[in-house]
Amino acid sequence: MEKASFHILRVGTGITFLWIGILILRDPEGWSGMILWWVRDVLGFFAPSPSGALVATAFLDIAVGFFMLIGVFTWIAALVGVLHLSLVLTVVGINLITVRDIGLLASALALLLDSMPDKYRFWTHKAQRSPAI
Amino acid sequence: MTPHALLFTIAAIGISETSYLIQKRRAGVRPVCVIGEDCAKVLESKYNSLLGIPNDVLGFLFYAAVIVLNGSLVIDGALVRPWLQVIEIFLKIVILGGMGMSLSLFYLQWRVIKAWCFWCLMSAITTFLMGFIVLITNLAIF
Repeated sequence: MEKASFHILRVGTGITFLWIGILILRDPEGWSGMILWWVRDVLGFFAPSPSGALVATAFLDIAVGFFMLIGVFTWIAALVGVLHLSLVLTVVGINLITVRDIGLLASALALLLDSMPDKYRFWTHKAQRSPAI
Repeated sequence: MTPHALLFTIAAIGISETSYLIQKRRAGVRPVCVIGEDCAKVLESKYNSLLGIPNDVLGFLFYAAVIVLNGSLVIDGALVRPWLQVIEIFLKIVILGGMGMSLSLFYLQWRVIKAWCFWCLMSAITTFLMGFIVLITNLAIF
C-alpha cells in the first residue's frame, strides 16, 4: 500500500474505533439492545447484564483506536479490530447499523495485512521455501 | 453531538500528527515535509521546546486533554455528571491555551525563524478550527 494511503486509512479507522467506544460508554444499555437473543442468553451465564460486556467492548474499541492513531503496535490493534468486528457481525448480525462494520472490517484487515511483521507472514515463507520451477 | 464529534475528530488527527513527530524525533530521523522544505529548520530551531518540554509532546498532551475532556462531556456518566460545567469550562480554557501557543509559534515561524513548517501549520489550523467550533456552537449537545 502507498505510504500516505496507509496512514489515511490508519487514522480514519482509529478515529472510528475510538469514537464508537465513547458512544458505547455513553449508552451501553441502548447498544446492548442490538445483541441477538441467543447471545444475550449466553452472556447471561457470565454477567448479570449484557451492558457489562458492552462496557468492556467499549474499552477494547478505545484501546484499538488509540494504538491505530498513534501508529504503535498497529498490526496488533488491527488484528484485535478484525477479531472484534468478526465477533460483532456474528453476535449482532447484519442490520442497518452493522452493515457499515463490513467496511470497517475490511479497513482493519487491510491495515493488518500491510503492517504485519514479515516473520508472521507464514504464507510468504511458504512461497519463499518453494523451489522455483 | 456534532460539535463534539468534530472536536474529537480534529483532536484525533492532532494526536496522530504529534505522535508521528515524537516518533521521528526519538528515532533521530527528519519527518517528511509534505509541502515545502523548511520543516527541519523550524523543528530543529531553539524554539522547538518550552521549559524543556518538546513542542510535539506539549501538542500531544494538548490533543489528549481535548479528547479526554470532550469524551467525558459526551459520555455524561454518573462519575463526571456533577462536574460537567467545570469540564466544559476547562475544555474551553485548554483550547484557548492551545490557540495562544499556536499563535506564538505562528509568529515565530513568520518573523523570527522566517521559515514555514507544514506540521506546525497543520497543528495551528486544527487548533484554530477547534476554537472556531467552540465559538460558533458553544459546545451544545444537539
